[in-house]
Amino acid sequence: MSDPVTTFYGAVNDGAFWHWPTLVHFCLVALAGGVAMLLAYRALGRDRLGWRLPALSVGLIALDMVVLWAESLARWRLTHVYLFLNVRPASAIWWGAWGLAGSAVLGLLLAFGWGPRRLWGALLAVTSTMALLYPGLALAANSARPLWTPLLLAFMPVTGLLLAWGLALLFRQNDLRPAVAVLGLGGGLLGGLYLVGLAVGGLAAREGLSHLWHEGGTLFVAALAAMLLGPALLRRYPAVAGVLVVAGAVLARTLLVEIGAFMPPLS
Amino acid sequence: MARYAMAIDLSSCVGCAACAVACKLENEVPAGVSRLWIRLEESGTFPDLAMQYRPEQCMQCADPPCVGVCPTGASHVTDDGIVLVDAETCIACGACIAACPYGARYFDERGFVGKCTFCEHRLAEGRVPACVETCPTLCRSFGDLDDPNSDVSRAIRAAHRVEVLKPEQGTHPKLVYLDAPARFGLASEGVPK
Amino acid sequence: MKRREFLKLSAASVGALMVASETQALKLPNPLARAPKAWYDGEVSTVLTYCENCFWKCGVRASVADGRVWKVDGYAKNPKSRGRLCPRGQGAVAQTYDPDRLKRPLIRMEGSERGEGKYREATWDEALSVIASGMLAIKERYGSESMAFFAHGSGDTWFGDYLPAAWATPNVGKPSVSLCTGPRETAAQWTFGRGIGGHEPIDWENTDYIVLVGHHIGEDTHNTQLQDFSLALKRGAKLVVVDPRFSVAASKADRWLPIKPGTDTALLLAWLNVLVTEGLYDKAYVERYTVGIEELTAHVQPFTPEWAAPITDLDPDAIRAVARELAAHAPRAVVPPGRHTVWYGNDTQRMRALYLVNTLLGNYGVEGGFYFAQPPYIEKYPHAAFPLEPSSGGCSGASGGETIDTGYRASVDHGKFFAKTTAVQELIPAMISGEPYRIAGLIAYGVNLFHSIPNVARTQEALKKLDLYVAIDVLPMDHVMWADVILPEATYLERYDDLVEIAHKTPFIELRQPAVEPLWDTKPGWWIARELGLRLGLEKYFDWPDIETYLDKRLSTIGSSLAKAKQAGTLVQRGRPYLSDWEQRNLDPFGTPSGKIELYSQSFADAGFDPMPVYEAPEEGPAGSYRLLYGRSPVHTFAKTQNNWVLMEMHGDNAVWIHTAEAASLGLKSGDYVWLENQDGVRDGPIAVFATERLRRDCVYMVHGFGHRAADMKIANARGASDTALMSRYRLDPISGGAGLRVNFVKLVPGAPRPRLPRLTKLAERSV
Repeated sequence: MSDPVTTFYGAVNDGAFWHWPTLVHFCLVALAGGVAMLLAYRALGRDRLGWRLPALSVGLIALDMVVLWAESLARWRLTHVYLFLNVRPASAIWWGAWGLAGSAVLGLLLAFGWGPRRLWGALLAVTSTMALLYPGLALAANSARPLWTPLLLAFMPVTGLLLAWGLALLFRQNDLRPAVAVLGLGGGLLGGLYLVGLAVGGLAAREGLSHLWHEGGTLFVAALAAMLLGPALLRRYPAVAGVLVVAGAVLARTLLVEIGAFMPPLS
Repeated sequence: MARYAMAIDLSSCVGCAACAVACKLENEVPAGVSRLWIRLEESGTFPDLAMQYRPEQCMQCADPPCVGVCPTGASHVTDDGIVLVDAETCIACGACIAACPYGARYFDERGFVGKCTFCEHRLAEGRVPACVETCPTLCRSFGDLDDPNSDVSRAIRAAHRVEVLKPEQGTHPKLVYLDAPARFGLASEGVPK
Repeated sequence: MKRREFLKLSAASVGALMVASETQALKLPNPLARAPKAWYDGEVSTVLTYCENCFWKCGVRASVADGRVWKVDGYAKNPKSRGRLCPRGQGAVAQTYDPDRLKRPLIRMEGSERGEGKYREATWDEALSVIASGMLAIKERYGSESMAFFAHGSGDTWFGDYLPAAWATPNVGKPSVSLCTGPRETAAQWTFGRGIGGHEPIDWENTDYIVLVGHHIGEDTHNTQLQDFSLALKRGAKLVVVDPRFSVAASKADRWLPIKPGTDTALLLAWLNVLVTEGLYDKAYVERYTVGIEELTAHVQPFTPEWAAPITDLDPDAIRAVARELAAHAPRAVVPPGRHTVWYGNDTQRMRALYLVNTLLGNYGVEGGFYFAQPPYIEKYPHAAFPLEPSSGGCSGASGGETIDTGYRASVDHGKFFAKTTAVQELIPAMISGEPYRIAGLIAYGVNLFHSIPNVARTQEALKKLDLYVAIDVLPMDHVMWADVILPEATYLERYDDLVEIAHKTPFIELRQPAVEPLWDTKPGWWIARELGLRLGLEKYFDWPDIETYLDKRLSTIGSSLAKAKQAGTLVQRGRPYLSDWEQRNLDPFGTPSGKIELYSQSFADAGFDPMPVYEAPEEGPAGSYRLLYGRSPVHTFAKTQNNWVLMEMHGDNAVWIHTAEAASLGLKSGDYVWLENQDGVRDGPIAVFATERLRRDCVYMVHGFGHRAADMKIANARGASDTALMSRYRLDPISGGAGLRVNFVKLVPGAPRPRLPRLTKLAERSV
């Protein structure tokens, strides 16, 4: 008895809906959120805080916004920004928008040195966490897509922060080394856990895993390996370690968004 | 306020795609994307065979996963239970496309997300959706679930099997499939009463 | 204001705005944010007309806004559409706005060959003058009979009837006859004395048991028929489908008989045998309305189910069971005749057998069987008497007619077969050989010469030998780009046509009127025929100045008018559907020589044919080859719709269906590309393989109408393969003149390259 033979009349909307500009955004937003988190960390610390890091943080958020705007089909709707004044707690993107907006405002305040630095730092820790969490939420909310599992709620913020702080290592922010080590190991292990979760999941999860494997399994494993390898090389070759964890994070996130839109066939 | 729903009798459907073509023209759906397509499935070995023809489209769910995820509120449900996108407030982020378990939404290049509207513009004139009106096998019925005498209510009562797609998603689709051919199983949970 | 207060105020305002916005989505007036206007948001007017995207002619209501048709729908009062449309009907609008449409008259460049496709634009005046002088030269040299007209579509009233009759040529060919309905019409004429007609008179709403023989309802989406068929099944009617393929209809059947191709007559004879030998036929009906039951009884004795079983590769008990079930449900049991019946070259006899089964069930003229389809009453336009009436037949009316001896030569296919109608494919040899006399000119209106007539090589050879070849069409089809003069017709939404008269239970007349002005420099068929007629010296037949006058005059003969018809769209009359309706008026519905249904046909016997059907085994093909079968896609009409982007999005390619085991034995799987090569070495393709269980192992199947080789049809070009290209052989039915087309065998040659074609979405975006 053969499997059902299926044909269609008409186009099925099963192609990818998020294309390369979205993939770029997933990396830029990680960078923006991670740098904002770094700024929060510095603001809560004791050292002098210049204007450069806050400016960079605001700049990256602005860059991410510009990229989103430029690739949007609806880019001429400038009134969009007012739309976010509606309260939409079920929307990951809504949280992300406020997280980024809040981080930008706080970054500006810190850049100009207005107001209580430690308070802004604490608030910024919250807003940047929102910015780092929202991509995972945006993916995991889609229960019909088996590759976007709840585990991404942890995997995305970890790899997001890893991306930003790993890059920071290349700019001699060496006090971040322990954190990067933890994040790298965390990313690699969470990635492995993610794959195992798919393998022992239901039929849809296993079909998803098969799809992921087929479309980019080797690359995904390579990305996880890079994230795990980085910490090992941190002391001797910090620059290499930085490049590895950043590359691993970028690759893993990109693959997840590009391949992860998979839905098992309706039948 | 109505609770609009649609039923498709799969024992009658021949998969001719009149509904799909009608939708395309009625709603100026751009080339390359679709609000409605037909799945044809063959099962068995010669000569013991069965076919199922099944139109697929937005399920106009009672618990639509595509509404909460919208950051601007463009994706919303009307008082009549129709899930719509307000093109003017849509920012084309695609969160709703990602959330839909049925692949019913798509990006319209003109700057918003498109989807089945149950031909709301026709309902305003007392007509039925284009797909329902044209079907040459008369397998589609439409109407208010809260009205026991509506076409859809009567069709659902008369059917032996009433099923929905992906009930495990908890979406409670308001597009139901009636009397699917015996060899093709759907599931009967999640059917709105 | 201090910074602190400023910040506090800002935060408070934002908070307030957020709370306020809960009650409604915050919108700012922004002209750039406007959603695009839908066509139905503006002023919409509607026009009633009828569809041209197949030949069923459903009444449609066209919705027009801003001078453009956006949508067509059925309308309830039209007995064909009844408010619904099939997929072709719904998608027809896209053809009107197809950027590849013929836009202006074209004249072939001096010195170029037919088929090279080199043209220059011309005015209508120049183009028509070239044609007229060409035709007059032919008349001068060879006689008016030397012009042939091939026609199909609503305009075939102008180019298949009116103009050829005025011009005086009997050489008019309609593919709808000898490439489609010929055998069923001829068989019906000589069995019942009535044709079947374009709207098959099956009493679906009252029938309880249906047997379809090779009838692809569901893939053939003739609107009303599909509606009626579906309603019958919903009502609980039983369905048996006889087909080598598990068609859509078969998938709805209670019983599927996967018959060996070419053996249907044996099955029908076996059913006759059971009905007769078990005494299950309607004796009272047969006694009263037929002649020849004694002869038939003797004749069918040997044709037992056990005899038929090995021939048909069916189970004898199943054969017997169906006959008994037919009888048990009689007279509300029917074996519909189907439509395209030119299969094996002995098709008239097969149809006779089918009609005899129905007759023995006593269903002809009875509820649940065949009703009598009466034509509506309306008079022709009172034109001057035509010099001759070509008997080209046509699927929308009675087939055949007596050849009136008017002093003109008979058609060049006269004597090749028994029926009085012409056979389009038999008019072609005279273009090459000049026997019995030369056909020097051809006007092809809406006929796809390379995708309907078998032996394409012969057609092309014939075209090369003509003195004058004119094509009138809507799109730059393969054969159109061979003509000397190409005339672009306006599409159905842009023109009037002559009235359509539908013979039916409730006979009716449909009006076609334009919904929008013709695009570019295209013209309606009636205008082209008239302008040509005037230049040919045929003014006396075209004394009506315009189509409105013509139509109004015709409609006045039934007390109506063009104005009224434009409002109503359809004018419905009363019919005479059942025997009782005839008997109460003392009328005999059977136009046979005996005045009764002829189970035994003396006329056939006199002409040297079997007076009752016998089984003739089909020829087998070479080893390793498969019989080539073909059929329809629900979203396409023959070779007409493959440039329609909406319909091509639904179904954009054809594939060769082959049984999975056969495919495996050839090392093939679905999606591989192959060449199809027939018994004469003719190849077509590449075409994709579709490995399926839905087919016997001795045949392959493909959807007809693809495989266009027409570079100017950007969407249709080079998609799929053409079954007609592979029909280098056909078998002439000596009774009807039909060309049996299922007599070619193909091999699948692996290794064909996957075609690299432009993306359909990109091509679709060019829509006007």
